[in-house]
Amino acid sequence: MRRALTVILVLALMAGFGFGVNRFIASKKHTIPTEASVFIPTATRPKIVLPGTLYLAQNGDIYRLSDGFFTDLHLSTSKGLWMQPAYVPNSQEIVAVLRAAEYSDLYLLSADGQIVQQLSNNANPHLNEVFLNHWMFYPRMVPGSNTIYFSYDQPKDSATYAVDFSVWSGTLGGKLAATQISDSNPFTGGDVDPSPMANGAVIYSKFAIGSGNAYSQIAIQTKPQGKPILLTTPAEDCGQPAPSPDGTKVAMICMSGTGGQSTRLEIATLTAGKLGPPVTLVNNCLCADPEWAPDGSGLVYYNTADATGHFELWWIAGALGAAPAPPLQVTTNLDFDATSPPSWSPLSTVPVMSR
Amino acid sequence: MRRHHVRRTRIVLGFLIAFGFVLSGAIGALAYFMPAIVTAIQDTGHAIDRNLPTATASAIASLGASPSATATAQSVPPAPGAPFTVLLLGSDNDAKFMGGPVLTQSMILARVNPTTKQVVMESIPRDMWVSLSTGGFAKIDAAYEHGGASAAVATVEADFDIHIDHYAWIGLLGLVNLINQVGGIDVVATNPVMDDFYPADLSGKNPYAYERVAVLPGPQHMDGLEALMYVRSRHGDLRSDFGRSQRQQQVLLALRAKAKLLGIANLPDIATAMGNDFSTDMTISEIASLLPIASNIQLQNVKQVILASPYTSTGVLDNEDVLLPNWNLILPETHLYFPAV
Repeated sequence: MRRALTVILVLALMAGFGFGVNRFIASKKHTIPTEASVFIPTATRPKIVLPGTLYLAQNGDIYRLSDGFFTDLHLSTSKGLWMQPAYVPNSQEIVAVLRAAEYSDLYLLSADGQIVQQLSNNANPHLNEVFLNHWMFYPRMVPGSNTIYFSYDQPKDSATYAVDFSVWSGTLGGKLAATQISDSNPFTGGDVDPSPMANGAVIYSKFAIGSGNAYSQIAIQTKPQGKPILLTTPAEDCGQPAPSPDGTKVAMICMSGTGGQSTRLEIATLTAGKLGPPVTLVNNCLCADPEWAPDGSGLVYYNTADATGHFELWWIAGALGAAPAPPLQVTTNLDFDATSPPSWSPLSTVPVMSR
Repeated sequence: MRRHHVRRTRIVLGFLIAFGFVLSGAIGALAYFMPAIVTAIQDTGHAIDRNLPTATASAIASLGASPSATATAQSVPPAPGAPFTVLLLGSDNDAKFMGGPVLTQSMILARVNPTTKQVVMESIPRDMWVSLSTGGFAKIDAAYEHGGASAAVATVEADFDIHIDHYAWIGLLGLVNLINQVGGIDVVATNPVMDDFYPADLSGKNPYAYERVAVLPGPQHMDGLEALMYVRSRHGDLRSDFGRSQRQQQVLLALRAKAKLLGIANLPDIATAMGNDFSTDMTISEIASLLPIASNIQLQNVKQVILASPYTSTGVLDNEDVLLPNWNLILPETHLYFPAV
């Protein structure tokens, strides 16, 4: 009896040892962050309280960051993913993009996430003619006005493969795609990231292809379909321009290093339609989408926190001055949509309305 | 005598118990690595057949192909730590081609020097008109279709006058699943990648249908399907296949960044994810040994080569739009990084 028990015990120990070896090897597996390991913003608090109200997109939903708290707009994703919010001046409404599989539309949303108005209708009902659908992205409102700028894949000749964005403008409450502002370079992807300036011009990223490489230049357009002023060189490969509230500086993202694997965040003085020598604020990063605080106290941008990816919100105080503060990571484990530039309203508090 | 017997019994028993623990531990490890072992048996160690027939010298000379296109190098395994050359192949093995031979949409020659930690990647345009190792002339993407990896390797070896140590082939879903398995990749999209005629073959619809693609520019996190759109689309790019080749190299480098985070214990998950959409002549241990090499290579030590004009020029042959190679330029450029045989 005793011998039998001993044999059973030894066999159990052997089995346990085998299981232990299996689990020991498994414990050596490097955990790779996935979408599941990302928090929803409302479950977290930013490290600092930023002025005004920021609108940001994560995983198909839009969040508002005000007074140090995130608020979920609880947008329905049944028709697509919400992205690229843009605050409407002097109101508590925003314009945002609803991206479906093969088209995207602009919507006017209330402060609590209700659809006020569908501003465009880019879906084509004929399933076999997908090329009749259209994309609209990057909405931005002119401060103090109901004029809106955005990128639109028109004009498009359905007989060719050329599908390129051009910058368009229109009005909320009027015709949305009223005026074609830029003429894009064909077969490059076109013109994106329009941002209205205080002097009535619009600054944007203009893509081109030369010497076998695709690159973007920062362009200013003063009149519809006029010749743009190119502020940066092809070699600098800069885009995503963000003019400061006083219009004296431009923050931008430029390609950096080998193999298109990193970017750098730069600012440069804008004087008489020319950019001064750029100052690099952050180098060798995956920096994206700079946006100035409405009071000019600093700028936010997206960057990954470490090699595992996930885009977080970062802040540089005093970026307009001669000695900007070091970058400060504001959020952790949120993985914002880096193709959705944040939008920054000067209004600091937004009343929560009943749904 | 009895004491001796008891002692011997104890020794045997002790040995059996120790052996039992070792066996149990081995079974535990075997169970963990089973997916990788299955993959190793199914997908790795596929030796390159270097005895395929080659095109005749006269036929090659008459069409201006590489002067050494009849030569195929014999396989000599690289010494440990010595530089080696891998031919990376990617195919559209989607629903349109179920069960049949496939073309290679992507061919990248990679030269890895583990000692100096340098890498050179040279993309071979899929439309390049070359002599195939299986005979005749065609676009180089047909080599794999005509004779699998061995024919692709032999064709590139003969036309480029180099020796290839290893190959690795991956299908569409293999790439998608690999990228998803490493948690996606972070890519700086070079420009908006727009395509109204992107194949809808992975969306479960009619494999001959089209869908629209719009990859927005700038830094972003991509899952497998998004990354596939980025590297596969070519209709909206002025550079067509050359633009796509550049993006493919960019995504390979982004995968390299994720490889830094992986260890040998991650291999079973990756092997399971890639399933039947991967094959190579490398053994599983050789693949595992590449992980630390990948993590040690700095971006500034990566050289990228694209064979655009003047290395190639457009032309029409057999009613097909093709790229005509200028071997007088291609071979010297290639041999700067890939030793001539």
